[in-house]
Amino acid sequence: MSDSLFIEIGTHQQQKHGEDCFGDTIYSKKIPEERRIISILSDGLGSGVKANILSSMTTRMAMKFVESNMELLRSSEVMMDALPICQVRKISYATFSIVDSELEGKTRIFEMDNPPHIFIRDGRPLNVKCKELSSPKWKDRTINISQITTQEEDRIILMSDGVTQAGLGNKLYPLGWQRQGCLDFVLKTIKKNPHISAHDLAKAIVHEAIEKEVEKKAGDDISCVVLYFRKPRKLLVLTGPPFDEDKDKEIAELVSYYDGKTAICGGTTANIIERELCLKCEIDKTSFDEKIPMSSIMEGIDLVTEGILTLTEVYRMLKEGIDKDKNNAAVRLTRLLLDSDKIDFVVGTKINIAHQDPNLPMELEIRRNIVKKIFRLLQSQYLKEISVRYV
Amino acid sequence: MEKLTVKICSGTSCFVMGAAQIQALEFTPPEDIADKIEIIEVRCMNHCKDIDATHRRGPFVMVGDELVSEATYEKVVNKIREVLNKDCK
Ligand code: FES
Repeated sequence: MSDSLFIEIGTHQQQKHGEDCFGDTIYSKKIPEERRIISILSDGLGSGVKANILSSMTTRMAMKFVESNMELLRSSEVMMDALPICQVRKISYATFSIVDSELEGKTRIFEMDNPPHIFIRDGRPLNVKCKELSSPKWKDRTINISQITTQEEDRIILMSDGVTQAGLGNKLYPLGWQRQGCLDFVLKTIKKNPHISAHDLAKAIVHEAIEKEVEKKAGDDISCVVLYFRKPRKLLVLTGPPFDEDKDKEIAELVSYYDGKTAICGGTTANIIERELCLKCEIDKTSFDEKIPMSSIMEGIDLVTEGILTLTEVYRMLKEGIDKDKNNAAVRLTRLLLDSDKIDFVVGTKINIAHQDPNLPMELEIRRNIVKKIFRLLQSQYLKEISVRYV
Repeated sequence: MEKLTVKICSGTSCFVMGAAQIQALEFTPPEDIADKIEIIEVRCMNHCKDIDATHRRGPFVMVGDELVSEATYEKVVNKIREVLNKDCK
């Protein structure tokens, strides 16, 4: 199991200039029981609220159908029938691209009317064979179905036509950036940075598309999804002293044998590891911050931070976004979490009596609760694989 | 002359009680003591867990081997001057 691939999904969107709401919708879902990931990008007709409704309805419906393995042609007919009809154009319309991927490798891509996906293997584009299907009911629509067994380091890129048509009206790009332009950009970017994360690549593509636009204003909704198949990056987060002191040694051994990165959150926990593994630990003054205690440097450990204040701040940033201009311990820990795919939490359950002092100027969360909130968020919002062990 | 070590606790409870303000000593110490002290940030020294001594509260700072409780920037600076003067005599 541990060797199966991990799929990192990165998305980035920019709404049409002047609109406050996205006309494209992206929706991804993990089905852990089936070891399967589904990701959908839909572009609604027009822009703004109306397009948003069309595309979000499409993604929700498509997700239900794909999830329950319903036959696709039939499903798409149902979807088209269900979409509200545009008053202006008298058609109901939203496009979609769907990637349905099993962690063991089987991946299917369904596309209707979006620019064709880009598949990258070994730094080169790969043309995946595809079948065309069309519905007798909606004759002008065809659905392309491609199937492929994915390998380590493969990437699939989905985009809305806002990407390929970026630059229309700009003399330099009379036909827009086009899929080829985007493909060239992707190849160049991957060549420069072969391990670029899905998130960074999606963002780079959208930014580059905006660069092409007249006055750098998005002429349409621009959306991109990148799926990156790779070996999982593992992280062990150790926080809190074990309830039973006898366990100290065991916990320390976990740290020294772990096959991935390690983070320790909590002063007492750090003391235990320092003592058990005879490691030297020093405060890292470059992480100074008025609100968050500084992190420490311990040999062989990727990050050592204070416990509860740092974790509380990490939770806030996972919800609201990372503080880009800071480099305190909480920012470092958040980055480490976001850069990992599989995170193993080991949570000590001993209560710190000093934290229960009613005279403290603020209430301190109980470690177990804040860790629970963090891993739920990492699971649901960031699609990370999480394990938790209480000791 | 050997420098006087000042250990500032940056454990959770000392930190929320205001240890961060004392850390300013590290970056902008008063001139008269600047090169006579060495600041060390430490993790919890367990004073906060000493429930029998409830009259004493964080933040805790060790100036040499004297413990300053409910420490503030001024309190620590005064303590440092006091200890340095004692050592001179
Ligand atoms: S946190 Fe400072 S002594 Fe415990």
